[in-house]
Formats: sequence, C-alpha cells, structure tokens
Amino acid sequence: MTDEEPGWLVTAAAGGDQAAWEALVERFSGLIWAITRAYRLSRADAADVSQTTWLRLAEHIDKIENADRIGAWLATAARRECLQNIRSKARTVPTEDMSWFDSGSDDDPTEAEVLRAETEREEANRASLLWQAVGRLPARCRQLIRILMAEPPPRYAEIAAALDLPVGSIGPTRARCLQRLRRELGECI
Amino acid sequence: MSDEPADDALEHELRQLAARLDPVPPELVQAAVGAFSWRNVDAELAELVFDSLLNTDQAALVRSSPGRRLVSFQTPELTIDVEVTTTASGRDVMGQITPPQRASVEIRHRAGVISTDADEQGSFRSASLQTGPMSLRVRPAAGGPRPPIVTDWLSI
Repeated sequence: MTDEEPGWLVTAAAGGDQAAWEALVERFSGLIWAITRAYRLSRADAADVSQTTWLRLAEHIDKIENADRIGAWLATAARRECLQNIRSKARTVPTEDMSWFDSGSDDDPTEAEVLRAETEREEANRASLLWQAVGRLPARCRQLIRILMAEPPPRYAEIAAALDLPVGSIGPTRARCLQRLRRELGECI
Repeated sequence: MSDEPADDALEHELRQLAARLDPVPPELVQAAVGAFSWRNVDAELAELVFDSLLNTDQAALVRSSPGRRLVSFQTPELTIDVEVTTTASGRDVMGQITPPQRASVEIRHRAGVISTDADEQGSFRSASLQTGPMSLRVRPAAGGPRPPIVTDWLSI
C-alpha cells in the first residue's frame, strides 16, 4: 500500500488512466466502507452509497480543485450520501437498523461464526469483548472509531470530512474515545 | 494525558479486528473499479443544486412529501428538475428541462441505460427504475453539435 500523495493518481485518472483509478479505489474503498458502517447502513445501502460516491468522482475527476485532498473529497461525498440514505429511510417506511455490529445478516458470516473459527479461545474472547465495547460507545465515539478502523489508516483530514468535524478536533477526540473504549473494556492497557 | 504508544497499539488492534469481522465486500471494490467506465469525458456536468432530502426549510417541506423526492441539476444554460417517487416496483422518475425543449434522455441506473425523449414541453418520464445510483445524460435536439449534458449521480 503506497503512502504517496494521491494527487498524481487523480491527475492520471482524469487523463483516462485506468490503473491510476484502480489505485485510488484500492486506497480509499476501505475508507468509504468504514464511513457507511459508521453511519450504520446495511450492506445493501452501503453498496449504493459507495457506488454513488465512486460514480460521482468519475464524473468530477477532471474538475477536482485540490487533488491532494481527494480522500477528504471522497469522505465528504460519502457522508452526504449516507445522510441522504438515512433521511430517505426516515421519510418512508422505517426499516430494520442492521447496524454493523449486529450479527443478523444472512449473507455475512456472523460475528459468532467468525469468532468460533478462532483457534485461540482467549484471543476470540478478547476480540469479542473489544467489538462489543465499540458498539456500546456513544455515537460520536463509535463513529470515529469505526472510521479509524479503515485500511489503510485514514488521515485526520479524511476522518474530519467524514464526520463534519474540525480537523484539529480529531486527535483529541481519538484519544478521548480510545480512553473511553478502555473503560468499557474495564482495563487499563 | 493520553498514552500515545498504547493508543496506537489499540488502534492497530481495532483495525485488524474490523478487517476480520467487517471487511470491505469484494463486490463493492469491483463495482468501484467499474465506475470509471461510466465517465463521460466529452460531456458537460449538470451539478446537483437542490435536493429535498437535504433541504428542510419550509418551502421544501411544502413541496415534498414522504416517498417523493425533488432534485434539481443545473448548467449555465439549462435546469433539469427531477421528481423521484417511491413505488412498489422501484422508483418512478418525472423530469422537466427548462427552458422547455426536445431532447434525448438516457437514464443511467443499476440495471443499465433507459433511453427516452423529452417532449417539446421539456418533460420526460420513466417508471420502475431499480434503486441505487442514477444519472441522466441529456442531448438537446436543437442547437447543433453541442456536448451532451450529464447530471451528478445520486442514489435513488
């Protein structure tokens, strides 16, 4: 995974370079997925939001003003799509909230199945406790932590764009939320 | 005072946990790669300037209702207003081009491309679209060899 400035990838993709586009997808699809899960979208809705975000970038790519901030551009677009999705649901029939740490989805290996496959019981126990502790965090912390979990690690500017928060608040909020998570886990690591 | 190495270690552990318990679906990555082929290099972009889902002011509330979404796209020359209605079979779309004019309209959505025409009043419609990303590609009948207009994508 490259950590180079993604700006040149944007420029190359705007010129029609499919490989540059694929590098952008590799770099940021994890971030967009994490954002949709932070807003607790179902897998189907997350797929819609993700795809709309990428299609929108494809159409805008030769008009991006600050190519080096493409991650924040994508995070902003994904956040807006998530909010639109949530609002469209709120205005029609209320649907089941299939949150990302629920284990009810049919097409997914459930948390329990994945954990059962763990060879080390202790390790599975720790993972299960940690996962559940994240789910118990206050909404803002849970969202920030879920986005922080993206691979590759997102930049603070991207997390800020995903949550519509000032970039300067991300570091302190991260520290506070991780501390809160430790309290939920009941340990002092 | 936070303990930075411990925070970094916990963050790393969380990232590994998400990769195992809630990984990015491969089909989502494939779709993102495929999005590049929908690009219109020759087209003029009509940007989203209004969306009733994002506007909660009184006027928007009066004009919209549950199951009915109003969006507007704009270029310097024209406006495309679209009403998206939720039905049992998916989404119905009614569009209006202003100033009114004939045009060929392609509705690009999950299931492919639907071709239709805007009449001399500039209105067009299509029924039973699949939910998911949608964009319009509009080619005005008059005005000679101008580039087509594509709208921003939105999820319907």
